Amino acid sequence: MALLSIKNLSIGYQTKEGILKAVDDISFELEKGRPLGFVGESGCGKTTIGMTLMGLLPDNAQILGGSIGFLNKDLTQLTEDQWRKVRGKEIAMIFQAAMNALNPVMRVDEQVIEAIVTHQSDISPNDLDKRVRELFDLVEIPRARMKDFPHEYSGGMKQRVIIAMALACNPQLIIADEPTTALDVIVQDQILKEIKIIQQAMNTGLIFISHDIAVVASVCEDICVMYGGQIVEMGTCEEVFSSPRHPYTKTLLGSYLSLDNQASVIIPDMREAPDLTLKSGGCRFAVNCKSCSSDCKAGIPHWVSLSKTHRALCCEETITRKANE
Amino acid sequence: MSKNHPKKSSLIEMKGVTKEYTPRKQFFSKSQNKVLALNSIDLSIEKGEIFGLVGQSGSGKTTTGRLLVRLEAPTSGSIYLNGSPINRLKGASLKAYRSKVQMIFQDPYQSLNPHLSIAQTISEPLVVHGLGNTTSQREKVLHTLEIVGLSPGNDFYDRYPHQLSGGQRQRVAVARAIVLDPDFIVADEPTSMLDATIAIQLFKLLTEIRERFDMTFLFITHNLAAANYLCDRIAVIHEGHIVEVNRADKIIQHPEHPYTKKLIQVQPGFKLGGKRG
Repeated sequence: MALLSIKNLSIGYQTKEGILKAVDDISFELEKGRPLGFVGESGCGKTTIGMTLMGLLPDNAQILGGSIGFLNKDLTQLTEDQWRKVRGKEIAMIFQAAMNALNPVMRVDEQVIEAIVTHQSDISPNDLDKRVRELFDLVEIPRARMKDFPHEYSGGMKQRVIIAMALACNPQLIIADEPTTALDVIVQDQILKEIKIIQQAMNTGLIFISHDIAVVASVCEDICVMYGGQIVEMGTCEEVFSSPRHPYTKTLLGSYLSLDNQASVIIPDMREAPDLTLKSGGCRFAVNCKSCSSDCKAGIPHWVSLSKTHRALCCEETITRKANE
Repeated sequence: MSKNHPKKSSLIEMKGVTKEYTPRKQFFSKSQNKVLALNSIDLSIEKGEIFGLVGQSGSGKTTTGRLLVRLEAPTSGSIYLNGSPINRLKGASLKAYRSKVQMIFQDPYQSLNPHLSIAQTISEPLVVHGLGNTTSQREKVLHTLEIVGLSPGNDFYDRYPHQLSGGQRQRVAVARAIVLDPDFIVADEPTSMLDATIAIQLFKLLTEIRERFDMTFLFITHNLAAANYLCDRIAVIHEGHIVEVNRADKIIQHPEHPYTKKLIQVQPGFKLGGKRG
């Protein structure tokens, strides 16, 4: 059985102009051994998904529908008291801004201890010491630096402490929200390798959120591409990278700069932000889509299965399919 | 350095530039360790070129940019613009220098004043340098908005930064930098806050501006792929030293310094048709 199973989840933010659907009818499953990546541009809803899974949505957000199945629970139904038992213990998060995620006036080891004691108040002092040392060894921070304050650490070391805190209670599911965005390429490479090794060693579920498609490619087995609050394409990394089907995925891959594709880079012409208010129907990408037809604008896109694992949410695909039948 | 190239007129020259920072004195500390951010840097940037400066956090790349726009002064060494030294500029001559050299900052969410409209933001340099009257300034702002792809300019003229997306804000920052027709622009990680699809459009804009106005750019980044895409030449900076300077394609294909090789090796990427190994 899948560790996490999300069905038709929609999340809205209450704004002055009405409800803004930040996450619109998404469904996916996550297996333990298969890290799942979410990519998409700013505002596509990827962080909202992460926050929902941690029960940390802001007050103006509401779950409009759908279910989140996790360990025989529906997370959408939990009360705040029940969330406290899940958050940090069963589901943990590696936050984006390592610089701001640590308490500047607490020694680093105390912050890790706090993460453990919150969920295991009966742990003996010996076990606690042992566990803290284990965690620092795991993320490769020398024991001599355990008693330092966060400002004495480099960016990479801070991010390692955040990882140690996330691992403190042996969570079943880890959500990494842009864990390397604030780091430079060399440190990013180290942290990504570390996350991958730890995920495999502890056999946890991992959801990896990033705007950088190559970073997701280096950590994840499966990938969901998001646009305007919807998952527009999902599949294994190999399928999505080798034969992208949704126009947005094609744009995203085409505009990514790496060292060996300089000549083939396609400069997209994306001007319009997707309309996230409830009124709009139809394809969210239509305004920016080169292959958008009049049928596209009128119709609501449906999922098209391309293989057992690979699916895309695109009208064009639907139409081509119908024509072929 | 650029020994292998036909000697073009260099617009910017840095000779033996060193920058030391003295940390604030700690109450209990005995000694004061100075931080050597730049250690005797030599660099020359030719007219009309986009020059990339690539390095890790803390390598001194932003310090180099700040020295070039005279936000800070070097501890020792000299910097020349068109052959004339800028170290001792003061008062009116410093102000004149600043109209010739502009900067685009990393974070368009913080580098634009939220209280100023787009028109005020872009016309600010004109006002500060006392160029033109209200009518001509308005025309210049509208014209610049069109250049940076915010058209029709009238639509953006009276808006405020919070009404724009990250990519649009960065275009406003570009407009503010080019409105004085400067000779030289320092772009410090201008796309690191932007999505890939938006970043690549900004690169296109910078290339267009270079070609149209023969402007010279220093492009500071930690992303070697971006530098390779945009720049004619690249300097790799590591712990305050420039370790390698060469044409962009040569740096990528035949890196000489071990640090450059390391940078290339950790560059994330993926191959269409298969995962990166």
